[in-house]
Amino acid sequence: MHAPADNVPSWRPVLMRFLVRSWEYRRPRLWAGVRVACGIFNVVLGVLLLASFHWLGALTWLAALPLAGAALIFWTVYRLQQDSVLRVRELEQSRASLVDDSAARLRRIERDLHDGAQAQMVAVAMKLGLARDKLGGTIAGITVAGAAQADLERVLELVDAAHRGAKEAITELRDLARGIHPPVLDHGLGTALTTLAAGSDPPVELVVDLPERPSAAIETIAYFCAAELLTNVAKHAGARHATLEAAHMGGLLRIRVSDDGRGGARLEHRGGLAGLAERIRTVDGRLLISSPPRGPTVVTVELPSHA
Amino acid sequence: MRIVIAEDSAVVRAGLAEILADRGHEVAAAVGNAGDLLAAVAEHQPDAAVVDVRMPPGYTDEGLRAAIAIRRHHPATGVLVFSQYIETRYAADLLGAAPGGGAAGVGYLLKDRVADVGEFIEALSRVAAGGTALDPEVVTQLLGASRRTDGLGSLTARERDVLALMAEGRSNSAIAGILVISERAVEKHVSNIFSKLGLAPSDADHRRVLAVLRYLET
Repeated sequence: MHAPADNVPSWRPVLMRFLVRSWEYRRPRLWAGVRVACGIFNVVLGVLLLASFHWLGALTWLAALPLAGAALIFWTVYRLQQDSVLRVRELEQSRASLVDDSAARLRRIERDLHDGAQAQMVAVAMKLGLARDKLGGTIAGITVAGAAQADLERVLELVDAAHRGAKEAITELRDLARGIHPPVLDHGLGTALTTLAAGSDPPVELVVDLPERPSAAIETIAYFCAAELLTNVAKHAGARHATLEAAHMGGLLRIRVSDDGRGGARLEHRGGLAGLAERIRTVDGRLLISSPPRGPTVVTVELPSHA
Repeated sequence: MRIVIAEDSAVVRAGLAEILADRGHEVAAAVGNAGDLLAAVAEHQPDAAVVDVRMPPGYTDEGLRAAIAIRRHHPATGVLVFSQYIETRYAADLLGAAPGGGAAGVGYLLKDRVADVGEFIEALSRVAAGGTALDPEVVTQLLGASRRTDGLGSLTARERDVLALMAEGRSNSAIAGILVISERAVEKHVSNIFSKLGLAPSDADHRRVLAVLRYLET
């Protein structure tokens, strides 16, 4: 998956694995404090020893011991600090590539569905449609003995039911695929949001300002955020009108949904908005909610251009 | 009818060819990508082309771009676009593509409509004859997209229903059948729509298309 950066020494993973299991890692502030306190104690001790050179005479060199200890301790604190900075950067990189990977994988799954199961289902439904029409025509055109006629009609019923089933399967597959990755996103967030806004109730005004495209993963997150927020407006807000804005500038993609509904939207544990916040947090984005009682509600999602 | 099919999935392509051949239409060519489609249309000058939106190499909207090109350069060929999804922007691009922006000889259907053979052939015939065949979903979306600008709020709910069915390409008698009202009532609604949209009483069929487009534009 993600290869460690070249400038990182090879013993670091071992040290990190050790630290992850240690108290050091679980209480980093406490241990950093203890370390700094030890360092300061050593410095004070060293200075005191230096200051008492009248009494110590030739033994004043002993002051070098605590001072050297302090230097060692501070050097360790510095190295650990550097390590954790590197580690944060590394985690950020591997998380970004995970987010991109999973977006690409979902896109692939959707395409496989489209090329495979969906196409097969359409072909099956077409054949069943043709069979139904032919059979219907045959039954209307001929008269056969009673039992055979009943059989034919039963076959027609079965084909008709299979045809309807196939069409329902196509619809379900479509909804499933769209929930995985709306293919129109490949064409840009603006185009995808147009369909989203057109299909929503209450009427949604769409304002799009996307001179440059963010990364595919960010577009996907932005799309599903907008979809969820519009669903919330339809379900809970009791609004007569809503606005969906999408703007991308200065490395920041901002999605804003405002409505003139009853307000009172809150970030609740396990609620829809909490799920949204969780998703946004995976790319260091922000979710801002302003929803006083009696409205209006304004929910803003801020995402970086790249994961 | 002479038809050209463009669809990248071999099974669906074969199915379409089978249905068309069964109904006595001639499949001049069946191709799997947009480039071949344009070449086939130029070569065969068919009555209509059936085009899938998503085709190689990019699998985004290659088919749609090709359909728009056909509308521009081969106005005599009707274009029936079909797709797993209806996208508002695509529908608007497609309808706005012809010189003069007419909706003559164009259709945009969901792929599952192909499964209803009779309806599909009827839609294709309409498109080949210079008519319109829009999926009910296209109409809903386009009306939804245009709803926000309320200069046309003057249309009543019933007139809106009639207009939506007109957009699908239905005749007055078909609309009367669907809405379970008399044909006379439909005519009255249609003339109200025309006057509310400011369309002069001239050639009736073209005016229906204009009414729909004007409604969608605003």
